[in-house]
Amino acid sequence: MTNKLKKVSLAAGAVAAIKSGTAQGQAVDDLIAKLKDKNDNVRAEALGGAAKIGAAAVNPLAEVIADKDVEVSRAGKRALWKIVRHVGKPGADNEKKAVVTRLEELLGNEQVVSVRREALWMLSEICGRGSVDTIAGLLLNEELREDARMVLERIPGRKSLDALKEGLKAAPDDFKLNMAQSLRKRGVRIRGLDCVKLVPTKQTKVEPL
Amino acid sequence: MKQTNQLNRREFLAGAAAGAAAVSFPYLIPSGALASRGKGGANERLTMAHIGVGGMGGYHLRDMVGRRDKGEVNIAAVCDADENRLASAVKTAGKGIVPYRDYRYILERKDIDAVVIATPDHWHAVQMVHAAECGKHVYVEKPACCTIEEGKAMVAAAKENKVSVQVGSQGRSQPEAYSAHAYIANGMLGTISKVTCWHYASPVDNNPVPDSDPPPELDWDLWLGPMRWRPYNQRYCHGVFRWIMESGGGQIRDRGAHVMSNAIYFMDADDTGPVTVEATGILPTKGLWDTAINMKVVYTFKNPDWQLIWEQPGEKIPYFDQEKRKRLGIRDGYGAVYHGDKDKLVVWVGDGQVFTELKAVNYKIPAGGKQVYKSPGHKEDWFEGIKTGKKTIMNIEAAVATANLCNLGNVSLILSRKLNWDPVKQEIIGDEQARRMMGRPQRHPYHL
Repeated sequence: MTNKLKKVSLAAGAVAAIKSGTAQGQAVDDLIAKLKDKNDNVRAEALGGAAKIGAAAVNPLAEVIADKDVEVSRAGKRALWKIVRHVGKPGADNEKKAVVTRLEELLGNEQVVSVRREALWMLSEICGRGSVDTIAGLLLNEELREDARMVLERIPGRKSLDALKEGLKAAPDDFKLNMAQSLRKRGVRIRGLDCVKLVPTKQTKVEPL
Repeated sequence: MKQTNQLNRREFLAGAAAGAAAVSFPYLIPSGALASRGKGGANERLTMAHIGVGGMGGYHLRDMVGRRDKGEVNIAAVCDADENRLASAVKTAGKGIVPYRDYRYILERKDIDAVVIATPDHWHAVQMVHAAECGKHVYVEKPACCTIEEGKAMVAAAKENKVSVQVGSQGRSQPEAYSAHAYIANGMLGTISKVTCWHYASPVDNNPVPDSDPPPELDWDLWLGPMRWRPYNQRYCHGVFRWIMESGGGQIRDRGAHVMSNAIYFMDADDTGPVTVEATGILPTKGLWDTAINMKVVYTFKNPDWQLIWEQPGEKIPYFDQEKRKRLGIRDGYGAVYHGDKDKLVVWVGDGQVFTELKAVNYKIPAGGKQVYKSPGHKEDWFEGIKTGKKTIMNIEAAVATANLCNLGNVSLILSRKLNWDPVKQEIIGDEQARRMMGRPQRHPYHL
């Protein structure tokens, strides 16, 4: 290919990318605007097309989920779950990887807890070993550690298992039993931390007759 | 499983007289029955406790009080996470009944032989498994479980601990279910290629409310149990948990656990399952509830080849006798049609009510024909299971097979794609996300 042809080809590619980016950007903007609409029917219509928008919508949807209007927040959550369920299909590895990367970004401190918790559970369905370190980092966060533990339990493979083992070592006393449970679930024999699932703790105030 | 067994269970087996006896019997024998050899009266009665006493739990308690008053059983305890419901249950059951908020106190008591579990659906598997591990026989409301993994744990727990389990898909025990079963089993429809179920649509949460503090009478942490933590919302409970996917799973897991229970029973498919599951439908776009409003699920079975189709709403077939429908309050909003190459048969409702066409009701099994089991009643069948070790009519394997249909339908709908299912290994094939959804990590300490 000559230099001239290369330049033409690159230029055509760039235009296509911009057009595509613009179209996707427009789709995201439309989705967000409709999800924030006060009309139920408008939000419902937006949900119908949410699944295929993909990674570009993840961060904007986090803002919708954090919205103070409970129905707008729920619509944002529904839309993001639709994306997660769409990209998890067999053979969509690139789409899935892009969404996983964006979801990991939602685990940061700058997001409200409800968004971080939801992102964790979304990752639990589609993420791989590459997300384990980020998720394991939340085992020391008091508000999110129980969700992070359960999510790690769900991710197959050696890396999540190792993260759970490290998590047990680092866990404060009031969280060791939780970590031990996940390890038992993953087939690890735990000594010295008996399971307490059958130990009653809750007292009633109701009296017998 | 054994790794999660508790000191309590081992202590129970080591300390209880029943433990030694159980070695030589197919099932753990009720403590009352063991103590009663050569004696009569109260010692022969099973001692029961009720876990979850609102809704269907209230019905079961009242039913059991009637049996107690006839001298058939003892009732020792009641339990609920809602103090108002618990107080009401104490009044219903009367003097001598001990109330508990935490069901694990009941499991510790060695004088209790059996438990009736009628909590919200997300608790069924955990409480059934725990009860079995403590040597209790179990009657647990349907659906058996909310995930494939829970179902496997339930089957294993019943088997390992040799307890009798009856699941509350009581349609199988109804007289006209026997009629339909006998009619189908004796080939009156020919080869059946399709069973179509109809059921009215699910409600939409048209009155959404924001999260709030739980009411003082409700232990929200205990109500949530194995489910991941979330703030209280009035639209979770009571009763309406059915419209939450993680808990009730919608109409397909509520009434599907009746209608499809009968279908696989009549089709002799309790010990198998479909090879593909494909669902389509409409999910809510507002409110807290997230289960399907409308839904169609096609289950394809192989060897023999047939399809089970759940349609919500589907094509309703009104009961043929309107006067009888009104008189008996027949709820014909759901049922199933069995399509054979010789004829078809309609079976209405499917739970505490089962009605079928007169040709099946009037059918007599000919000499040399195939006999089918006639249940003496759903609870009576369970009592027989406890006393003799016989398999109950809605045993845990059958109940899990039914719940798997419901759960796979929901997973397929959520993912908007067809699932391939291995009915022998009981696993989804070739879809990693769907495979992860076969289980759901559970909150500490409310886990299997």
